Amino acid sequence: MDIWFIVSNTILLACIYGTLAIGISITWSSLGLLNLAYGFIFAFAGYGAWLFAQHVSTSGPAVLAAGILAGALGGVIICAVGFIPIHDKPNFTIRGLIATLAINLIGTQFLLWWFGPRSKSLPEIFGNWSLSLPGMVFTADKVGNVVTSVLILAIVLRWMQSSRRGLEIRAMMMNPHAASIVGIGVRRTSFYVMGITGGLAGLAAVLLSQTYYISPFGGLMPMIKGVSIALCGGLGSVRGAVIAAIVLGLNEALTGISIGGRYVLITQFVVIIVILLVRPRGIAGLLDKAREA
Amino acid sequence: MSVDSGIKWRNPLFVWGGKRDVEELATIPFRSHQEVWERTRRSTTKLNPVGRLRYYYKWPSHGGAMWNRLRYWPTRRRVLRLRGEYNPKTLRAEKTIVDKRPIWWMLGLLALAIAPLYTPGDLQNTLLTAGATFGIYAAISLCWMLIMGTAGVFSLATYAVVGTAAFVTALLAVKFALPWWLLPPIGAVVGLVFGGIIALPATRLDGFYYALLTLGLNELCRVYFVTSKEFGSANGGLYGATTYIPEDWSQLGQLLLAYYACFGLMLLALVLYRFVNGRRLGRILRMAPEKREAFAEATGVNFRQARVWVFLISSAALGFIGGFYTSNFGGVAFSIFNFDTVLLGLAMLVIGGVGRAEGAVVGTLIVVFFDQVLNTWGPARFMIIGLIMLLVVLYLRNGLFGIKAQFRAWRDKKKSERRSTRAEKGGEMLPEEATETEDKSVIYQRRHDKMTRDHLKTLVSPEIIEEHRHSLNGQHSEALERLLIYFRTRPQVEKYAIMAVERFEGYRIVALSGHRGVAPRVVEDRIYSTPDEACHGVFMRRVQDLLES
Repeated sequence: MDIWFIVSNTILLACIYGTLAIGISITWSSLGLLNLAYGFIFAFAGYGAWLFAQHVSTSGPAVLAAGILAGALGGVIICAVGFIPIHDKPNFTIRGLIATLAINLIGTQFLLWWFGPRSKSLPEIFGNWSLSLPGMVFTADKVGNVVTSVLILAIVLRWMQSSRRGLEIRAMMMNPHAASIVGIGVRRTSFYVMGITGGLAGLAAVLLSQTYYISPFGGLMPMIKGVSIALCGGLGSVRGAVIAAIVLGLNEALTGISIGGRYVLITQFVVIIVILLVRPRGIAGLLDKAREA
Repeated sequence: MSVDSGIKWRNPLFVWGGKRDVEELATIPFRSHQEVWERTRRSTTKLNPVGRLRYYYKWPSHGGAMWNRLRYWPTRRRVLRLRGEYNPKTLRAEKTIVDKRPIWWMLGLLALAIAPLYTPGDLQNTLLTAGATFGIYAAISLCWMLIMGTAGVFSLATYAVVGTAAFVTALLAVKFALPWWLLPPIGAVVGLVFGGIIALPATRLDGFYYALLTLGLNELCRVYFVTSKEFGSANGGLYGATTYIPEDWSQLGQLLLAYYACFGLMLLALVLYRFVNGRRLGRILRMAPEKREAFAEATGVNFRQARVWVFLISSAALGFIGGFYTSNFGGVAFSIFNFDTVLLGLAMLVIGGVGRAEGAVVGTLIVVFFDQVLNTWGPARFMIIGLIMLLVVLYLRNGLFGIKAQFRAWRDKKKSERRSTRAEKGGEMLPEEATETEDKSVIYQRRHDKMTRDHLKTLVSPEIIEEHRHSLNGQHSEALERLLIYFRTRPQVEKYAIMAVERFEGYRIVALSGHRGVAPRVVEDRIYSTPDEACHGVFMRRVQDLLES
């Protein structure tokens, strides 16, 4: 019940869910696709990492990389099935949302059918050590989770700032129509975007599997958290997502220790409603400045 | 030019002994202009049977009954949209059914009503249970359709409302031993309260933002109800409420009662749909479709209020259905809060088509068939449902019932594409040009001109040219005469003239401008030594122009 416990939990949850939320946010603002198949990508990446650990190697970084790659593959699959065929059709926003939900249904049921309902666990990626300082304890998985997610997010954001492909993605985020006029292919860029955001989901899946198990429907709760954070922070804004991740992580940690874990979603829902009633486009999103679908 | 086709033209004026007349000249066989006419008139376009006009059966009528209509008493609303008219050719009185949907509805509902009599014996249990489930889910889908289609709020919280109402009523029924008929009204109150809470953000958020907000609502309810003590966390649900199905009936009787009760619930939901969507609220909301809300607001349509009203009405109805759910099954399981339940419910709406009552009912029928009747297939049946949903979303604009409109739009597009490729240019007007022209006779003039030229082109041959070179004036063969007459009737702009450079020495060809005061222009450098040679030169140029046109 000490302050350190709240702070460390807040940071941990903010890091993992923030990773997912930034992925959702980037997908929406660059492609106009609300990807609700993250639950599937999440589970897919988890099972990919598990298969890798079973059959190839159990070394921590290798499993992490396998999870990220599997997530990226899942993202590319969703792009090919759910985005490419309908991105230029009428009523795309709603149809894309429904298509990703359908892929989510098919994918999770497929995983259930293929791997069975028993949940799997990954080997410990960051080892089993802990570091005690006066008043605080650093455990391996917490430190590892925070460091890895911050590192990889920083790499991705840096890449988006400095590379040619990142420039294309940012141009799409600013104005998709103008970007297509100056020769940035929507379809090609969509594969990069979905690959990267899928990879971020895969990262979150492997990191979260240090605490929870991998199961076909295990991706639902992280997806709900990620979507809530993205919505709360303002779709399309990375900074807003970071702030929202901290706010909601704090809410989760505070609710968990004050009135009990079962009220986490309720308090979170109330917090989001209050934020959205004040600012309908989220913390950072300015009213009417958001992407027109 | 070597000329020998064997056919000769006899000059009838030869006997008069003209100066340069010859008795016989080689010429070409007769070619009828009728061929060109027929070729032009013939259509080579492949006509598929789908490209027809809309076909309506014409029912016989009577002049005295032309305006008789069956109406719902005491309103002026008609049962069937009929159009009475006189056939313009036969002057027979006719009636046309403009909108056949009420007939299909009646047939479909009748089929559902008598379906239990025709179920095969070994499947009766499964089918009747599935039928009862279908009734409840169809009612839920219809209410959801009101929220999504009519109000345009993309809410995913429907099953959360139903489940909450079902759990609360089940708890009350177990605790206070309430009679079954009290459960639906209590459920409606619960649904109204729940709907009121979640309608709050709906006033500020639009469309799919609301979907993201309500995505977690089901999970919220599931976590809350599963972990709470009162709602029986141990046995996977809360059972033990009183039901309307008497214990002492036979199993078949119980199943039939449940089937018809759920069917009645669906009918109630249909009536509600009709009264919300087809009347004032629906009208207001149809005035403010997506992306045109600003216009509606500017014209004084308070669509936000209407949206919240529809949301509240549907929430109360969903709560009512939740209460009925409890009194039907004697309780409720936690599985109603599963995310897959939401996805299946969404599949029901999407497969049928958002915004139509028939879409909700037929979509529910398809999904419930896979979910309940084929329940031995395990996860595969969900994958099939997901696959249908995915294909429908990828290829259809608005579900199964949108196919007709989508097909017609596609066919019209193809038609206009073909029409524009079919119009060949050659002086004839393109369809777009023809509609712009004031004087429609120009269109036919041009078409006639084109056909004439097509015919004359077939007449141009070495024999004719040779004949013209030989005798400029006097009697000509039929083919050459046709060519010359055509050339003479052309307007001035297309004509040439011969200019004497030096009398009896040199002549050259010039083209007339066709405008007063604009001098003719020289068309070639060649100097002809006699007027006859120049004349033939003019003929050759005209022939060349004809062949090039």
